[in-house]
Amino acid sequence: MTAPAALARRAAPVFACIGLLAVWQVASLVLKNDSFPTAIEAIRAIPDILGDKESLINILASLRRMALGFGVAVLVSIPLGLLMGRSRAVAAFFNPLLMVIYPVPKAALMPIIMLWLGVGDITKTLVIFLGVSLPVIYHSFEGAKAVEEKMLWSGAAMGLSPGQRLVRIVLPAALPEILTGCRTGLVLALITMITSEMIARQSGAGNILFNALDMGQYDTVFAMIIIVGAMGICLDAIFERVRARLVRWSEPQFDMPLSFS
Amino acid sequence: MTSQLRSTSIMLGLAPIVLVIALWQSLVSFGFAPAVLLPPPGYVFSRLLQQLMTWTFQQEIAATLIRLFAGFAIAVVLGVSIGIAAAASPGINAVVRPIVRVLAPLPKVALYPALLLLLGFGHGSKITLVAADALFPILLSTYYGASTVEQKLIWSAMAAGTPRYEILFKVVLPAAMPSILTGCRIGLVISCIVVFLAEMITSTDGLGHVLVTAARTFQAVDMFVPLITISLLGLILNVLLGAVRSYLLRGFPEA
Amino acid sequence: MKVVPSRSSEWVKPVMPKKPASAIIEIERVSQVFQTSARKDHVALSDISLTIEEGAFVSILGPSGCGKSTLLYVVGGFVNPTSGSAKIKGRTITGPGPDRGPVFQEFALFPWKTVLGNVMYGPRQQGVRTTEAEAQSRALIEMVGLKGYENFYPKELSGGMKQRVALARTLAYHPEVLLMDEPFGALDAHTRTRLQNDLLNIWERDRKTVLFVTHSVDEAVFLSDKVVMMSKSPGRIREVIDIDLPRPRRRSELLLDPRYQKYVVDIERMFDEVDETGALL
Ligand SMILES: Nc1ncnc2c1ncn2[C@@H]1O[C@H](COP(=O)(O)OP(=O)(O)OP(=O)(O)O)[C@@H](O)[C@H]1O
Ligand SMILES: [Mg+2]
Repeated sequence: MTAPAALARRAAPVFACIGLLAVWQVASLVLKNDSFPTAIEAIRAIPDILGDKESLINILASLRRMALGFGVAVLVSIPLGLLMGRSRAVAAFFNPLLMVIYPVPKAALMPIIMLWLGVGDITKTLVIFLGVSLPVIYHSFEGAKAVEEKMLWSGAAMGLSPGQRLVRIVLPAALPEILTGCRTGLVLALITMITSEMIARQSGAGNILFNALDMGQYDTVFAMIIIVGAMGICLDAIFERVRARLVRWSEPQFDMPLSFS
Repeated sequence: MTSQLRSTSIMLGLAPIVLVIALWQSLVSFGFAPAVLLPPPGYVFSRLLQQLMTWTFQQEIAATLIRLFAGFAIAVVLGVSIGIAAAASPGINAVVRPIVRVLAPLPKVALYPALLLLLGFGHGSKITLVAADALFPILLSTYYGASTVEQKLIWSAMAAGTPRYEILFKVVLPAAMPSILTGCRIGLVISCIVVFLAEMITSTDGLGHVLVTAARTFQAVDMFVPLITISLLGLILNVLLGAVRSYLLRGFPEA
Repeated sequence: MKVVPSRSSEWVKPVMPKKPASAIIEIERVSQVFQTSARKDHVALSDISLTIEEGAFVSILGPSGCGKSTLLYVVGGFVNPTSGSAKIKGRTITGPGPDRGPVFQEFALFPWKTVLGNVMYGPRQQGVRTTEAEAQSRALIEMVGLKGYENFYPKELSGGMKQRVALARTLAYHPEVLLMDEPFGALDAHTRTRLQNDLLNIWERDRKTVLFVTHSVDEAVFLSDKVVMMSKSPGRIREVIDIDLPRPRRRSELLLDPRYQKYVVDIERMFDEVDETGALL
């Protein structure tokens, strides 16, 4: 590919952002709705939010819980998923349970868990943990299932124990799929975080959004949407970089990100 | 799989669910958790059955289902058509790809306040949110499926005299069907989740609203009922989609 | 066991007197250059000219990567040549059309259609009414020896059966030229010979023009009137050999025929030469 073409490709998402903001600007100018500020007004309100110490601390605290929930979920889910992928019994054991849990909105567990554990960090982190685990388990499971039997046979012939085979053969072979799961999980962590804050209405980005909505500060609502959106896009972009570096050997599957809710 | 193997694996699969319920029961029985916070499972399930019989609860389910299906249907129509178009035309691809790159990882639920402001607190905003969330997995898997259609299938159809635009419907769409249905499965689960959350955040009806009402009055039993209901709905819809899938993909290997 | 109809005598008609040869396909100075990802030009075909007469069975033989498939795709209209032109009956080829029917090594059957559905696809596309298309298709399926398999899906068939369906699907819309790209390449030796015999019977019956790409020298000699030997990169025609063997051909007789043996040996030797020069380049 030629250099200018490559440049255009990399810059395309930036143009897309600008284009979307422009569409927003025009739409709000045309609609002339009081509760629909223009893009420029919303962008102007961003510094106010980020300048406010309390909301900044709130947002950072949310992000810390998110990172913790995500990290623990990944550490637990990958081994479980890999085991399920390589052992029929383990898969048969866990699959139905996971199928039952899958359609339950994890953020909706917030009120119940709050009832038991209070509104502290543990509750919020636990909900994020639950939200992230399922896609990571699922993708690790699929990845491990797809590992070629012959690779494992040759591993066994070389004298690797079952545990060693799981770590030395299955894990690297399933890595592309696992990372796809982690990428989904990361966006999901953000979503769960915000949703649970919207439901619990205690603190954090989700809370700021709805407080502003209740108080009729529409600029702040839309500014917050931009901030949250930017967080999602940046997290995804960073993770994509890491992923591409880790699994350079594998064919790129999706060059567009997948997201769950 | 032999029937014996299958029944063993079903037994194995039921085991953890039974275990969870047993653990739940024993937590209550041995007094680790007060029944106000954790009602015993028998109580919860009888309450569920009782609720399912009442007209009001059925209406809550109906409200949720309407939003779920409307949003999901919009997502399927948009996702499949944009996905196919992006795979078929380089021009559309050049526009769609960067936009999708930006919008897919965006937490759609953050848009909900904006949707409320623009579309009001009724069905519209919730349906739009469901559609926005379910759209991307469907769009992406359609695109993936459509852009990896075996070139020689297309050539075979063209040689038999199929005009270019018909190729999209007669070859690309059916050939991408396995991938599209995978996307739909993900989109359906997402729809279940999102519709419930939207109803929890602001609503006057629907299963999510039932949960929030119960939470306000600390009725633990009534908090479990809508959660179990949405889980059952998700399972049933998944089974239905599975049936549609195995019918539509009857010719495909590994379907 | 399913018995494929033997080459019964009704299929083997006496040799028709050869019509005065008229060209059906003319390939004129065709070159095909691909751009590789490293921004380098890759010459797949260079300055190919070839005329194919109506009703002839022509095989293209050559080492892997010499551009056989590319040449076939140019005639099929699936790729446009970088320069030069290919003509069918005097008209320049600009795209695929039902006058040229491809049969690919990968079968390329529609997995969502049954055997009957696959074979009916072409006639339906040509506007033949459903009942009529179905009757024709059933007859064709029987002809390729798959009676009873009409409602099977491709995944339920063996490789050889899939290739029979692919052939029937193409024959169903009556193309004037068959373009076959290593159609038997993915099959085992036994199935391969059976399909070669069947193809020959079908061809001897209705004398369609066939352009047949293969790796196998015996296959080329056994089937063809003419063998086009290509040489490796950049793709050129090395030689065109007329195969002057009587028809109808029978495998058992031909294998003992010294003329057949000589063709095979000569062409095999030429193949080795072509491949070595390719390797040296
Ligand atoms: N779409 C393409 N882009 C770039 N190069 C191509 C493309 N198609 C074919 N080539 C190149 O053109 C050359 C000829 O390819 P072609 O497939 O025609 O060979 P072939 O003789 O059919 O080989 P084989 O016997 O292995 O099928 C090869 O070197 C191949 O790498
Ligand atoms: Mg080839």
